[in-house]
Amino acid sequence: MNKLNRRHFLGASGSVLALAAMGRPAFAQNTQIRHFWWGNPERDKRTFAVIDIYNEKTPGVTVVGETLGFADYFTKLTTQIAGGNMPDVIQQGYGVLFEYIANGAVVPLDEYIGNSLDISKIDQSAIDAGTVDGKFYALSIGANSHMAMYNTRMFEEAGVVPGETFDPYAYTYDELAEFAATIKDATGVPGTDDNTADYQNFSDFVVQKGAMLYNEDGSYGPTQEIVEEYWSTWEKIRNAGGTPPAQETAGLAGVSELSQMGVVTGNTAMTYLWSNQLVGVQSLMEDKLGVATYPNTPDMVPGSVIQPSQFVCLTRDSSDPEAATAYMSAFVNDLEMTKVLGLERGIPSQSEVRAALQPDLTEVEALSVEYFDKIQGSTAALPPPPPSGSNEVEQTFERLAVAVLLEQRSIPEVASDFLRQANAILRRA
Amino acid sequence: MLKFLRRNFAGYAFLSPWLVGFFLLAIGPILASLYLSFTKYNVVRPPQWIGLEHYFYMFEFDDRFKKALQVTFTFVVISVPLKLIFALGVAMALDKGIRAIGWYRALFYLPSILGGSIAVAILWRQLFNYEGVVNSVLSLIGIQGPYWLADPDYALWTLIVLAVWQFGSPMLIFLAGLRAIPQDLYEAAEIDAAGPVKKFFAITVPLLAPVIFFNLVLQMIEAFKSFSGAFIISGGSGAPLDSLLFFTVYLYNEAFSFLRMGYASALAWVLLLIIALFTIVAFWTSKYWVHYENERG
Amino acid sequence: MTDVSASTTAEIAREYRAERARRAKRAAVLKHIFLALTSLIMIYPLIWMLAASLKPDTQIFGDIGLWPGTFEWQNYAQGWNALPVSFTTFFWNSTVVTVLSVVGNVISCSFAAYAFARLEFSGKTIWFALMMMTLMIPYHVVLIPQYILFMNLGWVDTYLPLIVPKFLAGDAFFIFLMIQFFRQLPRELDEAAMIDGCSPFKIYWAIIMPLSLPAMATAAIFSFIWTWEDFLGPLVYLNDQADYTVPLALRSFISSDGVSQYGPMFAMSILSILPILLFFIVFQRLIIRGIAMSGLK
Repeated sequence: MNKLNRRHFLGASGSVLALAAMGRPAFAQNTQIRHFWWGNPERDKRTFAVIDIYNEKTPGVTVVGETLGFADYFTKLTTQIAGGNMPDVIQQGYGVLFEYIANGAVVPLDEYIGNSLDISKIDQSAIDAGTVDGKFYALSIGANSHMAMYNTRMFEEAGVVPGETFDPYAYTYDELAEFAATIKDATGVPGTDDNTADYQNFSDFVVQKGAMLYNEDGSYGPTQEIVEEYWSTWEKIRNAGGTPPAQETAGLAGVSELSQMGVVTGNTAMTYLWSNQLVGVQSLMEDKLGVATYPNTPDMVPGSVIQPSQFVCLTRDSSDPEAATAYMSAFVNDLEMTKVLGLERGIPSQSEVRAALQPDLTEVEALSVEYFDKIQGSTAALPPPPPSGSNEVEQTFERLAVAVLLEQRSIPEVASDFLRQANAILRRA
Repeated sequence: MLKFLRRNFAGYAFLSPWLVGFFLLAIGPILASLYLSFTKYNVVRPPQWIGLEHYFYMFEFDDRFKKALQVTFTFVVISVPLKLIFALGVAMALDKGIRAIGWYRALFYLPSILGGSIAVAILWRQLFNYEGVVNSVLSLIGIQGPYWLADPDYALWTLIVLAVWQFGSPMLIFLAGLRAIPQDLYEAAEIDAAGPVKKFFAITVPLLAPVIFFNLVLQMIEAFKSFSGAFIISGGSGAPLDSLLFFTVYLYNEAFSFLRMGYASALAWVLLLIIALFTIVAFWTSKYWVHYENERG
Repeated sequence: MTDVSASTTAEIAREYRAERARRAKRAAVLKHIFLALTSLIMIYPLIWMLAASLKPDTQIFGDIGLWPGTFEWQNYAQGWNALPVSFTTFFWNSTVVTVLSVVGNVISCSFAAYAFARLEFSGKTIWFALMMMTLMIPYHVVLIPQYILFMNLGWVDTYLPLIVPKFLAGDAFFIFLMIQFFRQLPRELDEAAMIDGCSPFKIYWAIIMPLSLPAMATAAIFSFIWTWEDFLGPLVYLNDQADYTVPLALRSFISSDGVSQYGPMFAMSILSILPILLFFIVFQRLIIRGIAMSGLK
């Protein structure tokens, strides 16, 4: 109906649009399933190809793909929620997902399991990650973990040898301070990013210290001591000379563009991100990347978790949940389809799919698979879903940490200010 | 009645497309946002009426709101006059007697075309980096530049420079205005031996006043609502230390990052009232310095 | 007596003109130098973008230098077809939306502006104030109410929300701009025409519009550029990638968690500027010296 309007309205141009629309048969009797994801050129091509395969296989159902860049995805989704016009199947990230679940925008899948939806071969950990209050909501389409990425050329030039100078899977903040300074001395490039304003590193540190980011009752976990110690730890590394000047770090606070990361711009030799960003970061660099965990304290209590990077979920606006969940099921299980998708969204959580992909991995993909093998067993347990407002707490941390970097206020002062604001945010949410 | 119709018919006939658009498309959403400002609305669930609570919270507890106002005011007060002066200067230089003038105009308009693109964000970071182009130029004249993007005292200046650099649209409007000034006035003034300064103040300014006024009001409104520059350069957050927390950046975060659409609407209406106040003042003062041809004699 | 004074006046005028020509020549040289220098600052980002569009992705960010080590011309070919839908479609979509918007804006806004500037009718001040108000509200808070409105009209996933408002004088910026120019036209024009029995429409069409060519050209240029570059509207209202406009497509190149294609993105950004420049160069020619006013003085 809507499409008809447009074609009429635009007359001549409409026929061209209709031409462009060929290959997407749209018969009125068909059930139409809208699938919406954030992507990039490669992911879009693969996903549209998978949709074509599915439509070929499934008469009577037409899946329609909709895609945007990450920066715009949630703006549009928010608008669609308000309009009651969400696509049937949406992509979600760990974190935001739980706000959607809490508000009922994403609906449980339990009644479809065993019928239209097959989760029998999905890793239990992935199922747990998509479960809230005993109900299963979200299908993981890629595992993710914290990952440090370093410039192998710079490390080599400085004589810092992974496995000898430091263990990339278990090294301390003190060791980091030392080899980062060595790299700076040898190459002129600071050996590491300064993570004072990096909330992901902070959340690792909290768990390494035996605390939790959020307590069972949803209150904020980190204590004044932990926050202070975290910032002092990085202050020490900074003072050892292995990081860029504090002001330079402060200028990048809040910026998440991969192209601006230290390891990409060549301003540092090591940057701390997520494992599913490895391929993207490598594609912006000439030098080869090596991988390591985040640093740890001497006690080596695991701080990082393995969690899904992305989920597919069913929305409350879906008009045909049966057909939608059948498509979701194929998206994670169908070997023909998952072969096309590959590792583009991260390491699949379905064992058969993983095995089938093993032979055709690219070099970088193989590196991230190896990383996952190595960290198995030395990661922390997945905490309960973060409460509403966690997103804002994170932003507040990044904002106030700049005051530490610029030495505008003392660490204890900023730490107590941060905890006060964090608690106020959680109360308000 | 018939007389009333006859007197008003032409006016309303010409206004009718706007009236239809206003009542069908524009006023509804605007009133809806006013209504939402009295509600708690997270987009997912229906809005809940809470009266003036958002407004009380804003003025009593919300420090970031105050910070955002301060940043925005500073930006408006500094960037708007600079941009207008720049735009008028270049427009006058481009008004006459230049070969390849079309290309020059296009060149000067270029920065405005690149607008809020990601290229500009990346470029601005490179230019204002500690070891970037700007500081290199400054060091030539013996000044050690600051960490522009990290230092809360300087970060806003990079945005002001960006705004002034994108002076293309007021320039073009000035140009169209200058072209409407009859040239014989200048010739007559020259016979009276008037210098360029005198000509500027005796002819250009009074005759260009309606256009100057337009640019002033519109640039002010635009500056109050300025969003994309600060958003892309600060990564959407207003960092460092909220020194780039433009009002609309704060509003956008409240609305789309934290899903407080009700609160964001309240913020929007406060901004609207502030802009309206400034605009009314501008219109009121315009009586004394803007005179229109069709109201003369 | 009168003869003598007339001839001396003519002589003085001639002398002044000659003197002015000499001065103008000197000024022109200086102006060229000044303009050339400033345009360097203006054009730098474009040069940077052009350089980036010719580099492999691995060299854009690590390497500060402008000159690409290797020229990746295939960024253009690759970028054109990088997305599942080719840029041929995106450019066509953008062209359709933009051309219709320009036509809609110029016609409907000049209607409203004519009513406000030249006609008398009751309630004018109130309508004018309401029109200005639509300029002041931050766009982000009306986005959602507007989306709901267009959804109820069944217009989501069509171009209607992007085009129809343009035909209903939806952008007060243009109305106000035209008002300022219309008001500068001498009142005697309308009065004379009225006495000759011209209808208000005839006056609008045969007198006001032709005399306001520079203002209309300016409005057309802005209208073109802003519609061409708009991405928030297309972002919200278009679902199907085959319906996307160029700016929306450009934003699909950058990934937070996968492989971005910066080189091809910059290549397509460069191409997307070309229609704007072309339109600008052609239409700025219409910003010409006032046609009628000097004659009437």
